[in-house]
Amino acid sequence: MKNTIRKSFLVLAVGAGMSSLTAQADITIGLAGPVTGPLAQYGDMQFTGAEMAIERINEQGGVNGEQLKGVKYDDACDPKQAVAVANQIVNDGVQFVVGHLCSSATQPASDIYAEEGILLITAASTSPAITEAGYETVFRTIGLDSMQGPVAGQYVAEQAKPENMAIIHDKQQYGEGIASGVRDTVEEAGVNVVLFEGITAGDKDFSSLISKLKRENVDFVYYGGYHPELGLLLRQSRELGFDAQFMGPEGVGNPDISKIAGEASEGLLVTLPQAFETDPDNADLVKAFESKNQDPSGPFVMPAYTAVYLMAEGMKETESTDPYEVADYLHENTFDTPIGEVKYDEKGDLEEFNFVVYNWHADGTKTEAK
Amino acid sequence: MDELLYFLQQTINGLTIGSTYALIAIGYTMVYGIIGMINFAHGEIYMIGTYIAFIVITGLAMMGIDNTLFLIVAALLVSMIVASAHGFAVERVAYRPVRGSKRLIALISAIGMSIFLQNYMRLAQGSRDKAIPNLLPGGWEFGGEGFVVNLSYMQVIIFVVTLLSMGALALFISRSRLGRACRACSQDRGMANLLGINTDLVISMTFVIGAALAAVAGLLLGMYYGVVNPYIGFLAGLKAFTAAVLGGIGSIPGAMLGGLILGIAEALTGGYLSSEYKDVVAFGLLILILLFRPWGILGKPEVEKI
Repeated sequence: MKNTIRKSFLVLAVGAGMSSLTAQADITIGLAGPVTGPLAQYGDMQFTGAEMAIERINEQGGVNGEQLKGVKYDDACDPKQAVAVANQIVNDGVQFVVGHLCSSATQPASDIYAEEGILLITAASTSPAITEAGYETVFRTIGLDSMQGPVAGQYVAEQAKPENMAIIHDKQQYGEGIASGVRDTVEEAGVNVVLFEGITAGDKDFSSLISKLKRENVDFVYYGGYHPELGLLLRQSRELGFDAQFMGPEGVGNPDISKIAGEASEGLLVTLPQAFETDPDNADLVKAFESKNQDPSGPFVMPAYTAVYLMAEGMKETESTDPYEVADYLHENTFDTPIGEVKYDEKGDLEEFNFVVYNWHADGTKTEAK
Repeated sequence: MDELLYFLQQTINGLTIGSTYALIAIGYTMVYGIIGMINFAHGEIYMIGTYIAFIVITGLAMMGIDNTLFLIVAALLVSMIVASAHGFAVERVAYRPVRGSKRLIALISAIGMSIFLQNYMRLAQGSRDKAIPNLLPGGWEFGGEGFVVNLSYMQVIIFVVTLLSMGALALFISRSRLGRACRACSQDRGMANLLGINTDLVISMTFVIGAALAAVAGLLLGMYYGVVNPYIGFLAGLKAFTAAVLGGIGSIPGAMLGGLILGIAEALTGGYLSSEYKDVVAFGLLILILLFRPWGILGKPEVEKI
C-alpha cells in the first residue's frame, strides 16, 4: 500500500514536471549538418533556409502559441560524428530534427531518431537507402539519387551523345550511388562507358587518372561526389591538356568549385533541384532572403525552409508536438510549399521532385542547359 | 609507341608526387635518425607552410605585385621562416620536456600536437578549401598521334627543387660542422654531449631543417594543386611517413628513394589497374618491405642512422 502511494506520488511529480516543461519551453528544432569541414557551405544553405522558416513562423505567432527555436548541431558530414550528434539530440530532448546533410551521415543518425521516435526531415540527403528502412518518422524534402541519376543519364544519352564516356565516383554512399544510377541509364541507352572507377575523397592528385582518361579517348566524364575533388579534377585536366566535357550532381554545384577550378569550371554540367528562387510564387520569400543579404539560390535552402514549414504545419493541424502524430499527418496530406506540391509516399519520399540540368559558369553562376 | 608514351606520362606523374613525398619524408627521417622518435606533427607543419605561402601570395597580389618570380620567392622565404619557427616551437613545447621519458609518451605528445595544430589552423583560417590560381600555367607537349605526353612547368619545378634541396641537405650533413655534429648525435647522443657538442641545439636544428623542407613542399604542392584546407597534413604526412619507412627510416637518401618508389607505384597502379587500388598497392608494398627488410631499402639495421 505504502509502495503504491509512493509510486503515484512519483508519477504525479514527474507529470507535473513534464507539463511545466512543455508550458514554458519553446519547441526546439534540431538543425543537424556540417558547420565545419570541407562541406560546410552546404550546411550553411540548409541552416539559412531553416532559420528563415523559423523566423517567419515565429513572426506569425509561432506554433500553437509557442515559439520555435533552432539549435545547430555540427556533424561535419562525418558518419561517426553524426551518431554522436544524434545521441546528443536525444539527450537534449529535442523531438524534431532538420538534417543531416550528407547521406552517409544521415543514414546512421536516422536509425537513432527512428528508435527514439524523433521526427527527421532531411533537406539534402539524396541516397535512396535512407528511406529504404521504412521508418515512419523519416522524411525528405529533396529528390532521390535514383531520380537524379536518370535525369543526368538521359541528358548524356540524348543531348551530349558522347563516344567514350567515363564515370568516376568518390566511393562514398552519395557519390557511388548516383554514379551507378547514371551508369545504368546511359548503358541502357547504348552509350559506350569505357571506365567506371572510384577515387579517394580527400585525394589531391588525379594526374594518373587523367592520363588514363586521355588514353581511352574519353570525351565525357560524369563525376559522382562533391566539389573539392571535382574542382581539382577539372583544374588538373586543363593543365594536362585533357578537355572532355564534365558533369556532376548537385554536390558539385557550388560557387567554390569555380574558386578551385577557375576557368576550367566554365561549361560544367550540373544536375540541380529546379531553381525554386525563380518561381514567381516564391518572390516574397526570395525578397526576405535578399533583405538579409542571404542567397536563396543554393540547392538546399528552399528544401530546408520547406522542412521546417512542414513540421510547423503538422504541429498546428494536429495541435500536438507528438512526432508520431505529426508524421501521420504528413503522410496523409498534400502541402503547397516553396518547393511545389509536397506529397509523401509510404517511405517518406517525395512522390515528385524535379532535377534540371544546368550549365555552370566560371563566375559561379548557372544557366539552364538547353 | 603509344604504350611507351603512356608509360612515360605515368612515370612523370609518379615522379612529381614522389618528389613531394620525399621532401616531407625528410622531416620524419631526420628526427627519427637523431632522437629515435616519430614526429607525427610534421604533416601539420607542411599544412601550415602551404597556408603561409597562400597568404603571402594573395597578400602581395592584392598589393598589386604581379611579378611571378618575386611572388614565389617571397612566399618561399616567408613560409620557410614561419614553418621553421613552428617546428622549433613544437620541439621546445611538446618534445623536449618529455625527452627523457618513455617513447610512448613522446608519441602521444606528438599526436596531441598534431591535433592542436590542425584545429589551430582551422580556427584561424576556417575549414573551407582555399584556392589560388595557378601562377605558372602551361608546359611542354610531345609525343605521337595517338597519345600526347604533357609535362607541365610545375612538374619540372617540383622535381628540380626537390633534387636541389636534397643535394643541399646531403652536402650540409656531410661537409658542415653542424652536419658533423648531427651525425655524431645520431650515433651516440650521450657521448656527443660529453665531447662538448650542444645536443639540444642539434636537435632544434633538425626540427628547423625538417620544417623548412616541409614548407618548400607546401609551397610547391600548394601551387601545383591550388587548394589548401586544414586537413591536408594528415594524408600527406601518412604517405611521407610510409615513404620514409620504405626507404629506411633514418636514412636521407632512403627518404628520397622511398618517396619516388611510392609515387611511381601509385601512378602506375592508377594508370594500369584502377585508382581504387592506389593505396592498396602503396601500403601493400610497405608491408612487403617490412616483412623482408624491416630496416627499409637503404636503412641499416640498428647500426648507423643517418
